Amino acid sequence: MFAQQDLLGFTEEQLRQRLSFFRIGPPDLARLVAMRPLIERHTPAIVQAFYEHLHSQPETAEFLRDPMMLERLKVKQAAYFLELFGGRVDLTYIANRLRVGTTHERLGVPPRWYIGAFDRYLELVRGFLISEGTTSEDLQLDLAAVEKLMHFDAALAIDAYIAGHLATHERQQAAIRELSSPVIRVHDRVLLLPLVGTIDSYRAQQVMESSLMGVGAEQARVLILDIAGVAVVDTQVADHLLKTTAAVRLLGAQTILTGISPQVARTIVELGVDLSALHTRNKLSDGLELALGMVGKQIGARVP
Amino acid sequence: MSAGIPILRIRGHILVSVQRELGDDVVEQFQRDVLSAIEQARGPTGGLLIDISGLEIVDTYVARVLADTAAMARLMGRQTVVCGMRPEVAATLVQMGYYLETVTTALDVDDGLDRLGLPR
Repeated sequence: MFAQQDLLGFTEEQLRQRLSFFRIGPPDLARLVAMRPLIERHTPAIVQAFYEHLHSQPETAEFLRDPMMLERLKVKQAAYFLELFGGRVDLTYIANRLRVGTTHERLGVPPRWYIGAFDRYLELVRGFLISEGTTSEDLQLDLAAVEKLMHFDAALAIDAYIAGHLATHERQQAAIRELSSPVIRVHDRVLLLPLVGTIDSYRAQQVMESSLMGVGAEQARVLILDIAGVAVVDTQVADHLLKTTAAVRLLGAQTILTGISPQVARTIVELGVDLSALHTRNKLSDGLELALGMVGKQIGARVP
Repeated sequence: MSAGIPILRIRGHILVSVQRELGDDVVEQFQRDVLSAIEQARGPTGGLLIDISGLEIVDTYVARVLADTAAMARLMGRQTVVCGMRPEVAATLVQMGYYLETVTTALDVDDGLDRLGLPR
């Protein structure tokens, strides 16, 4: 049996379409079942030859150094190989194939090994079919059936690889999102949001959300947006900053924009963007002093 | 007829707490109620504080009416502070290009009373 998540969203309908796309029909499956006794007899030899091939390649040989793991792999490989000749391609089959792909992806086995290995298998199967006296007409159709199902398997393996990579990508995206808009409470009712990197419309949305949520949750009076780490400030970025400031003001808090370098100041003026409605400062420390002033505090030297 | 929105007087200030959605039918009546409360108020001339923390939706029409009410109150000699706007409401208004620059804002009623200069 398989769990639903092993199918990566694969449905009966997609199975039907994909079998049709790979031109795999009942005659192919019947041929595979008919080959099974012959293949079963030669499976140990085929698996042995298969691993000899892998050992002959430095890249794969390095991967197979552990003898214990190698024995386990051989057993699995034999079962995997024989499943091709089971005559059943259903969702359980799909789940098994996808799981193999997922496992390989996790182990860091590149897809090229996978596809190269199929080719070696085909060659071995052809050899045994010929040595067992299969007629040339049958040989062609038998090999075509094996080949089609192997290609079908390869497509599933690639699906699993892609799904694995996408999942990794999504996790990283989530991590970046979390890291990219941290709202820091620098003083009672004063928040700081340091911006680093590129501000696209997606990031801008994030910044606005974090700002508003932060101001709401902390009941902040002042939000300092520090843009010292922002690579490019153009009209769009300026517009995003203005919007965030306007929204923060609607909540009843004020925004101070700090980290404006001479270059950014020049760009903003040359672009004709009017930021005169905002409190702006060159240094974060100046912005912090201004913010403290807004909440009725100040930084002073300690009296000895 | 009244919009059914309580209008309270606190030491010369007028506090309106909107705790129900302002539909098109209610919002104009709301404006009339607020303005007549200003007219009827006696004593020192304080400000007008509108608490909208109860509003989950503020469309452009309601935003306009709020800004207009503030402008009208100003003509009648009352400073207006709108307080308690929810983050999602603020984000939506700004996305629609409604910045409400003419309206003074505050975090909550407490902060709003500060803005109106009510001594603590």
